[in-house]
Amino acid sequence: MNVKKQITKLGLSLIGPIAIIVILTMPIGPLAGGLGILQPIGGIFDVGLDVNERTEQTVILPGLDADVEVIVDQWGIPHIYGETKEDVFKAFGYMQAKDRLFQMVMQNYLAAGRISEVVGAYAASSDKFQRAIGLVKSAEESYQWCLDNADTNEDVAYTLDVLDAHVEGINAFIDSMTSATTPIEFKILAFTPEHWKPVDAFIWAKMMTWGLSGSYIDLYRQFIRTSLNNDTMFDELIPDTMPYTVPIVPEQYDLDINLYPNAPGGLPASATPPSALAEVISPDDLISGEKLESLINAMSDSIKYFGEMEFIGSNSWAVNGSRTSTGRAMLANDPHLGLQAPSLWYEVHLIIPGELNIQGGSLPGTPGILIGHTEQMAWGMTNVGLDVMDFFVERVNPANSSEYWYNNEWRAFEIRDEPILTKEGQIIEFNVTWSVHGPCIDSVLNVYGIDSESAPNIAMNWTGNGVTHELIALSMLNRAENMQDYFDALYMWDGPPHNFIYADDAGNIAITVAGRFPIRAGYTGEFPIEALNDSVGMVSNVPYAYNPRSVNPSQGFLQSANQLSIDPASYDYDLLGPQAPGYRGRRIHQLLNVNDDVTVQDMKQYQADVFDIAADRIIPFVLDAWEAIDEDNSSVQEIVTILEEWNNEMETDLIAPTIWTYLLDTIKYETFDELWSAGISLRYAFTPLLEEWLRNENTYYFDNHETDGVVEEMDEILVLALHRALDEMTSDLGTNMSTWEYGNHHIVYIDHLASLTFIGGEGHRGGSHTLNVGPGWTVSHGPSRRMIANFDDTTTFFATYPGGQSQNMFSPHWDDLFNLWYTYDEVQETYGYYQEYTYTTAAAFVAADEADAEIQMIECIITFIP
Amino acid sequence: MTRIDDTFPDVGFIPTVIIVTIVGIALQLSGAWITMLLAGMFGALFTRSYLKSFLAGFFGAAAAWGLLYLYLSLTAQASAIAEFFIGLLGLTGMGWLVFVIAMLFGGLLGGFGGGLGRSLYELVDQFAGTSTPTEMPEPTDE
Repeated sequence: MNVKKQITKLGLSLIGPIAIIVILTMPIGPLAGGLGILQPIGGIFDVGLDVNERTEQTVILPGLDADVEVIVDQWGIPHIYGETKEDVFKAFGYMQAKDRLFQMVMQNYLAAGRISEVVGAYAASSDKFQRAIGLVKSAEESYQWCLDNADTNEDVAYTLDVLDAHVEGINAFIDSMTSATTPIEFKILAFTPEHWKPVDAFIWAKMMTWGLSGSYIDLYRQFIRTSLNNDTMFDELIPDTMPYTVPIVPEQYDLDINLYPNAPGGLPASATPPSALAEVISPDDLISGEKLESLINAMSDSIKYFGEMEFIGSNSWAVNGSRTSTGRAMLANDPHLGLQAPSLWYEVHLIIPGELNIQGGSLPGTPGILIGHTEQMAWGMTNVGLDVMDFFVERVNPANSSEYWYNNEWRAFEIRDEPILTKEGQIIEFNVTWSVHGPCIDSVLNVYGIDSESAPNIAMNWTGNGVTHELIALSMLNRAENMQDYFDALYMWDGPPHNFIYADDAGNIAITVAGRFPIRAGYTGEFPIEALNDSVGMVSNVPYAYNPRSVNPSQGFLQSANQLSIDPASYDYDLLGPQAPGYRGRRIHQLLNVNDDVTVQDMKQYQADVFDIAADRIIPFVLDAWEAIDEDNSSVQEIVTILEEWNNEMETDLIAPTIWTYLLDTIKYETFDELWSAGISLRYAFTPLLEEWLRNENTYYFDNHETDGVVEEMDEILVLALHRALDEMTSDLGTNMSTWEYGNHHIVYIDHLASLTFIGGEGHRGGSHTLNVGPGWTVSHGPSRRMIANFDDTTTFFATYPGGQSQNMFSPHWDDLFNLWYTYDEVQETYGYYQEYTYTTAAAFVAADEADAEIQMIECIITFIP
Repeated sequence: MTRIDDTFPDVGFIPTVIIVTIVGIALQLSGAWITMLLAGMFGALFTRSYLKSFLAGFFGAAAAWGLLYLYLSLTAQASAIAEFFIGLLGLTGMGWLVFVIAMLFGGLLGGFGGGLGRSLYELVDQFAGTSTPTEMPEPTDE
């Protein structure tokens, strides 16, 4: 064979290898890494190797002062023992990254408007939205503030020290990643993570701020008000406070204004409440209907990492020794957030002997514990839900759309260049317009193809814009030993308003409605408005000393479930709602008010409680109406009978909860015709209003104004609702009532962050108004973490959350805590919890483990060495 | 210059498959699938036809990956991972298919590597000239 033929043969032999290389590297849909990841070593199969933790490991962690011992317990929870805060937080960062790096990267890229770099250009609309709300700018300003103040404020310096150490730990893990420790998601997406930066923690803190207080209720109010075109009806249908609510603060407790003269975060405050605002008429044509709707759509479409605002809630309560079986304080908390896999929470225990002993739930990517306890005190959080975001419509210069009118002059908008890089290598140019009031969120509107010709001019004036100090407050709270420390820590909490509930080993209980509450001038804060000068706007704040707060109230307990913070009649400052409907708060109050011997078991039962107090209040009216109308319909009679026999428990093996869920919707449909006939969603049909109208037999709203010349009465409407509910159930669920069991349809579904898999898929107890909450048919929001703190002689802490410590879906720690969270003990009437291990030294932990042969408390020990 | 085919003996098909399998396992530990091309090329040193080189590379690399999958299934949840992967395509209970497809890819890498190697060696041997008989030592008298 001659050379030419051999060369030709060689050339032809190259076709096969090239073809297979192309096939194995070619991105296929979300499989950006190509099919090459199917190789046995170096691909996705390696992640199974990481599941098998060796029982003893030694890891070099550069920069440590001394060895750090990390005991990973049977639930995958690290207990980190070190000699300095830098060492402990370095190991903490490493462990967080080891268990949750994919989540940390995803959430920060999402918050920073960079998710297109990870998943591709199709996510550009999300990135544009995130850029438009300016979280990164605010995070950078907050970080810079810390750098500027670290020399003069030891709490700031401490926070930066632990932050830097935490970041170093994260980066040490990133640098040490092997194929086995690289998250499978990175392999599938062919993504290599960058080094973590200190500002990333601030970005995530800002994302939390946004997720928990970034409400655009003002836009909805405007939409509803314009659609109703009846201000009286608007005030009645969208009230600032809900009827029958038991406020969070039973007895206001002010701090000394001389000790705490400012608003939280050191912001200016007005110790004298402002005089009542004169009636302020907000023009309703500042934003065109089309633009308003498109803005609402843009905000609705944005990714809600912490869950939909209407579902974000939480329960918490604390009971002092006068009402507990132990004579000591107890505390319970379960924040209701979006359920996701991996969970928002990462449990950790940090110990520096004699200096720090803190355990609880951290947010991956942040250097501290958000909810938990020290040795002496415990705290929990619930969202306040007050309106701390306003929209100002800037008056644009007709001759120059790059200018707006403010303080008697035309000012230039600041235009921030925000190019968006995509995974495909594209650069999408994007600008965000800023005014003195904040970012103009209509910068995103061209994404949605509407109003692209006009200049962005709707500025988001939000208390989360700019410098805030959440990380400082948390770092102080993590070191708190008593109530004074708790007060001092929350003096820095100017982030999303939260109810911080507190209990300690001295028997104290307290709750602080913490956060910055603006004092508005020249407008009410309810609707978008023009603010042409600095006399209109958030001109001051409620002083921290006077924030709604209660300490050791005479009733012996405190509770919060996102409802009304304090009775407006007993509080001098205006707090703008509306807050939660209040049914969970009423239920907690009902349970605690009749129990003066509360046990840990009771606390667990309350967290599992599925008694629907709204059903308890409303269904009797329906039953009475059916009896009064006396209609001969066996099908309706059948569901009425089921409701009659029901105990209002939203249990999965019952049909009644299904009927009730449909029925509440149809009662609202038949009653709130004023809303739907004006094109307004029935999500704004508030259940407490319905309850009030039922109790008062409100003739106006029970009349269906869509039926000319006919005046319906309450009983007729309720029976109509029964018929409609039956029709809808038959249509949706079929005629075989045995399939209507609640648990067949009310399913908990916890989606993976990249939707690669899920946890759950089975029936979920509870409903929208129960303590064990579960809104909607597919439950993707709910108790994101359950915690009980019991300060008796042998202080005990219990916790669980729906997920697991590991991001590795093949690890037993992927969903072992979910199994505790989900499994309901019919006899005990409680869910499962793990009892926290609280050993103050690694040696004590090991000794205890060795002494108890039945339970293997320790899964592995990792020794970090310099 | 010594011809390649004069340096490496033709050991037969089955032994070549075994050689590729062993070399394939060793190279795959590097975590780079492209090394299966090298495993196939290495096997081609021990065969004398394109087809045999391809097949030896194919079966050898496929066997190498198959053995590694077996090991990972026994020790590191490879079956569950395969099930997860096929689940992304909306299929359930067919994790074995992932292994079959992956072994097919591994086999093709080894096979094409073998074919490429054989073509390359034959070209090199063209330049090295015709085969020269090995010089035998002269018999010596005791």
